[in-house]
Amino acid sequence: MKRTFRQIGILLLIVIAFAAFNGGLYALLTCRLANNFSGANRAQMVDVGRYLPHEPTSELARIESSLKFTAEEELPVLDGAAALLPVYAAVVDAVYPEGSVTYEGGTFSDDNYYGENFAPDSKMQYRNTVRGYTAVVDGDADVLFCAAPSAAQRQYAAERGVELVYVPIGREAFVFFVNENNPVDSLTVSQIRDIYGGEITNWAQVGGANRLINPVTRLEGSGSQTMMEAFMGEREIARKSPLLLGGAAIGFSFRYYMDGMVENGAVKMLAVNGVYPDAQSIRSGAYPIVAEFYAVWRADNDNENIPRLIEWLLSPEGQQIIEGSGYVSIHP
Amino acid sequence: MTNKRFYAVLFSVLALCLIATAAHLIWAVYAYQHCSIIYFIGRELW
Repeated sequence: MKRTFRQIGILLLIVIAFAAFNGGLYALLTCRLANNFSGANRAQMVDVGRYLPHEPTSELARIESSLKFTAEEELPVLDGAAALLPVYAAVVDAVYPEGSVTYEGGTFSDDNYYGENFAPDSKMQYRNTVRGYTAVVDGDADVLFCAAPSAAQRQYAAERGVELVYVPIGREAFVFFVNENNPVDSLTVSQIRDIYGGEITNWAQVGGANRLINPVTRLEGSGSQTMMEAFMGEREIARKSPLLLGGAAIGFSFRYYMDGMVENGAVKMLAVNGVYPDAQSIRSGAYPIVAEFYAVWRADNDNENIPRLIEWLLSPEGQQIIEGSGYVSIHP
Repeated sequence: MTNKRFYAVLFSVLALCLIATAAHLIWAVYAYQHCSIIYFIGRELW
């Protein structure tokens, strides 16, 4: 009888140990993971329905444009990064004729990470940065609104003998963010580079709580990951120990995507070198990490409306769209 | 419970627990690579 109790005790101990390990892992990590296309996270993704051109309820910057395309003209197909969706949707709204965009909605799935579909003949598409670059090089889109390309994206174009034209059309702050309960509100550029370079590993080293730092990175080839690699300069982003997954995280993104589009109140942007990222500090140059974003097209694309559209984008009217969409004009 | 039976049960329980834990870890690694970092950081425990 005594032996039986001991045996049952051993079995229970094993089950409890595994349950504790898995429960801890779930509380620390797994419950925080939501795929981009999961129902739980859908609210955090860009809701394309909020930015549809020619819809009275859309949240777009609206101006009376002097440039108006007609349905008979060859209309450039516009595509872009999630963060720039409000910009190029507003361009379509101001310049393109009604009926040039066909939005079909869609559901989140493995084949459609963004859950948003436009008809193949729609003049506005939404493929985001990684697929958008491919689309422009392959000729599936005419003009891409995005951040600077990654080395792999430049190489993809070069391998196909495609020359791309990049014209800066606006500016935006590159921002770092943490959980709202993280006591750290500000970091210096040097501290951020040390964190991602693996030299600073604990928040206590930068005046915060005694917790490990989990420096989170993004999808290779995305606009923000490419920007982060440029920000690090010669320094490599350090390989991360799996143990850091339980640490307090820091992430990066573009300001308006964080502040105006996703609007997750559970995270906060950090000041960098003591300057908080907002339109004023970007415009004045006080915020230290500002990136230009671009209109990109194939140099051999002979659609005559592309140079007309770019010229208009750089004009006061086009720049009014940039400012009205929450970004900062390319002109000082 | 005889020793032979106990060890059979013990290895079965261990195998089940290891398989469940491995599946949990594999899923966590996959989901981490595909998750929204804003959501991930927003749900951090403090």
